[in-house]
Amino acid sequence: MSSRRRMLLKVIILGDSGVGKTSLMNQYVNRKFSNQYKATIGADFLTKEVQFEDRLFTLQIWDTAGQERFQSLGVAFYRGADCCVLAYDVNVMKSFDNLNNWREEFLIQAAPSDPENFPFVVLGNKIDVDGGNSRVVSEKKAKAWCASKGNIPYFETSAKEGFNVEAAFECIAKNALKNEPEEEIYLPDTIDVAGGGRQQRSSGCEC
Amino acid sequence: MMSEVAQDEEKWLGAGIAGLQQNAFYMHRALDSNNLRDALKYSAQMLSELRTSRLSPHKYYELYMRAFDELRKLEMFFKEETRRGCSIVDLYELVQHAGNILPRLYLLCTVGSVYIKSKEAPAKDVLKDLVEMCRGIQHPVRGLFLRSYLSQVSRDKLPDIGSEYEGDADTVVDAVEFVLQNFTEMNKLWVRMQHQGPAREKEKREKERSELRDLVGKNLHVLSQIEGVDLEMYKETVLPRVLEQVVNCKDELAQYYLMDCIIQVFPDEYHLQTLETLLGAYPQLQPSVDVKTVLSQLMERLSNYAASSAEALPEFLQVEAFAKLNNAIGKVIEAQVDMPVAGAVTLYSSLLTFTLHVHPDRLDYVDQVLGACVKKLSGKGKLEDSRATKQIVALLSAPLEKYNDIMTALKLSNYPRVMEYLDNGTNKVMAVVIIQSIMKNNTCVSTADKVEALFELIKGLIKDLDGTFDDELDEEDFKEEQNSVARLIQMLYSDDPEEMFKIICTVRKHILTGGPKRLPFTAPPLVFSALKLVRRLQGQDENVVGEEALATPKKIFQFLNQIIEALSTVPTPELALRLYLQCAEAANDSDLEPVAYEFFTQAYILYEEEISDSKAQVTAIHLIIGTLQRMHVFGVENRDTLTHKATGYSAKLLKKPDQCRAVYACSHLFWVDDQDSVKDGERVLLCLKRALRIANAAQQMTNATRGGSGSVTLFVEILNKYLYFFEKGNPQVNIAAIQGLIELITTEMQSDTSTQDPAADAFFASTLRYIQFQKQKGGVIGEKYEPIKV
Ligand SMILES: Nc1nc2c(ncn2[C@@H]2O[C@H](COP(=O)(O)OP(=O)(O)OP(=O)(O)O)[C@@H](O)[C@H]2O)c(=O)[nH]1
Ligand SMILES: [Mg+2]
Repeated sequence: MSSRRRMLLKVIILGDSGVGKTSLMNQYVNRKFSNQYKATIGADFLTKEVQFEDRLFTLQIWDTAGQERFQSLGVAFYRGADCCVLAYDVNVMKSFDNLNNWREEFLIQAAPSDPENFPFVVLGNKIDVDGGNSRVVSEKKAKAWCASKGNIPYFETSAKEGFNVEAAFECIAKNALKNEPEEEIYLPDTIDVAGGGRQQRSSGCEC
Repeated sequence: MMSEVAQDEEKWLGAGIAGLQQNAFYMHRALDSNNLRDALKYSAQMLSELRTSRLSPHKYYELYMRAFDELRKLEMFFKEETRRGCSIVDLYELVQHAGNILPRLYLLCTVGSVYIKSKEAPAKDVLKDLVEMCRGIQHPVRGLFLRSYLSQVSRDKLPDIGSEYEGDADTVVDAVEFVLQNFTEMNKLWVRMQHQGPAREKEKREKERSELRDLVGKNLHVLSQIEGVDLEMYKETVLPRVLEQVVNCKDELAQYYLMDCIIQVFPDEYHLQTLETLLGAYPQLQPSVDVKTVLSQLMERLSNYAASSAEALPEFLQVEAFAKLNNAIGKVIEAQVDMPVAGAVTLYSSLLTFTLHVHPDRLDYVDQVLGACVKKLSGKGKLEDSRATKQIVALLSAPLEKYNDIMTALKLSNYPRVMEYLDNGTNKVMAVVIIQSIMKNNTCVSTADKVEALFELIKGLIKDLDGTFDDELDEEDFKEEQNSVARLIQMLYSDDPEEMFKIICTVRKHILTGGPKRLPFTAPPLVFSALKLVRRLQGQDENVVGEEALATPKKIFQFLNQIIEALSTVPTPELALRLYLQCAEAANDSDLEPVAYEFFTQAYILYEEEISDSKAQVTAIHLIIGTLQRMHVFGVENRDTLTHKATGYSAKLLKKPDQCRAVYACSHLFWVDDQDSVKDGERVLLCLKRALRIANAAQQMTNATRGGSGSVTLFVEILNKYLYFFEKGNPQVNIAAIQGLIELITTEMQSDTSTQDPAADAFFASTLRYIQFQKQKGGVIGEKYEPIKV
């Protein structure tokens, strides 16, 4: 069972609206990019098979809505994440400033047992814009922040040009794999060899 | 503390999770031992936990996510099974035996996704089958989650352009059809939810519905992500079908949310190319829907799009976006009769922002929007709704911010008409905003016509509107406002003197309506502005100006006289006196003796008739003396008259020390360094002697009242005057007089009755030091001072 579980790596991408979360995922999974902005609603995942040290893994990448009003159901899907990707737009200061909120919110909601060592990866996206002339967050500044949060790996990417996306996700997968799975060890009170389980409770209707 | 309901819910969720985990445990064991039958059995039991009706959507989502994660393991197992030779078709059949429908459908969807992946059947058939079967669940929460599960697992298996599932049998159309159908069903479940359960729980239900909204909206996101959904298909199929659903469901929450989703989820180009269809839906929405917000969001998005790339602009023109939006807003406002004014104004404000972004060169559009706004506001009198007022301020500020130039706003004929609807307070706020814009951008308002328009616009600050003075107004605020008007007046400028004079006349016309409270603020800057013009003209050759010129110094002085005269209504004689003296000095520089004389006469009249406070008199007399001293335009006769009066006033001041100081100051009126004609040593000495007598009298008065002698400061001051004229070569001021004065002071200071005055002592000491210093200088000065003994 644990082997089956370990074949699936769950990754969550967080960040402000418009920083390019969906674009990064699409570039990585489908090698496609569109200039059009289409807001994400709720949470949504794509999967990608990755090979790693001769083993095949399924990367389950959850893309989320950066706009709060499109996240009405809450964040139950954070549960069981193996790695959290924090994305910002190097051309928008606010999106960088908000990384801290996203990180903290994730740690509170996902409540990993060892928050200090939970793997994060930070992506500074859209470095292609205006040949880099409109960027407002320097690499140095971003790296300093990452260092202060326990040496979070940092990548500068362009979903548009596919720059560094592959490398970033390779690192994401590697870190997800390193994360010790938090299996809620479940032991039934009595192991019913016959496999009766419990009586169906009568709540709910007949459907 | 947690409410009882929430506590119960926690309990139920806990029980659900426990049940789920227990069955998952057995399911895992079955999976590990490749026991398909048990795996199906326990997974079905596990999924039964999702049959609960007791959880709110949030909690249900938690339970669902756990089941979801477990199902991924099952899915992998199914894949392995098929690899081991188990027929996927058989599997698909097999899971249909699960006893309960909800677990059965979850299992079917899970197998179905593997089925599609195996390509043993066309994706569209499997998808169609699944989406139909899900009809079996009519409970809204369970149905919505089940369908969102279906959507999720099929997400990467939709036959899309370039996807591996695209083929002869499967096309994008099928994918779209599938998602649309799922969307329609989900929306129905969602809308129906409000009618279920007791009426008293309506509020709770609405909250739950709101939480569930993303499950429905998600379908639109999926649609937008299908690459095959090109503009053509969006226009022909997707948008009409979605809008049909939105309009027909007649549900306020759904309509508001889904319109928002459509706008956010699909790309800007699509919106532009389908504006008519999209906008056509708005008037059909329920009257309670907050159309203005959604419509504003659309315009905001389009504005950003226009701002983001220059290439987008031709598109806007091509589809006549402005006309369509303008039209749609008109229709919405018409259709929603109950829409509050604030709502309508918000819409216009958004449209204006859009216009400013997309068509910055089209002032006529901007004016049209303002005009439409006027139409909506007309007949309702002044606005009382504070939100609407705020919106109007935003509306009127937008062009100022965009163009950074009030001149542009002045070209908008409807601009002042919109302002009419503001209450007086807000009207003033807006006027201040306008002035600030001018200050910030250093806007040059350079013609009288523009000034006229501008003052019309800011009339709220210029005069009491409706003829009533607002007593409520805070004194500080009032000062602030009027000071900003004053600053504005200083900013008005034309290079052409003629035009400048016209500007000044225009301003005068307006500020004269401002009444006595405002004039003290507004008159001085205008006076100085006119004086500046006079200075400019001084540099010019009379002949160049020409005969018929309006702007001659003489005319301007006439004008100035009138302005200052107006201040008498306030009345503020001290201010008027200062201004008269300023004018006199300017007339002096223009070589206009009669004019200068006239200004002095005016100042004297004020002094005699209006200024009664003794302190104010002292200040005024020193101003008069100072100004008069600098005048060189006067002939002997005029000068004599004026100086005579000035010395007369000085001697009549209330307090002796004031008298004394004013009188010795007058000595300078008879001895002007750079005017050879004014060097009357005799009269200088007369002044000084008179000052001495007054100082003496002052001294005796203090002796009499306090029984001791007063300070010697006045004597030391007079001594300094003596030294000044001595040095300047006034023959009447001689060594003997100086010597006598020094001795007098020394004796006074030594008498035991004298009051201690360290300042006077120091003053005297430093005066003596000065004499000493001059003596040591040698040369002509040294010789001159030599005989003085200290
Ligand atoms: N130039 C450039 N544009 C990008 C890049 N990545 C994304 N974009 C554009 O940025 C916009 C937003 O991208 P999305 O991927 O939709 O952003 P998001 O973070 O998913 O936004 P939400 O779904 O609202 O949270 C789109 O118009 C993309 O085309 C990039 O690397 N370079
Ligand atoms: Mg997104």
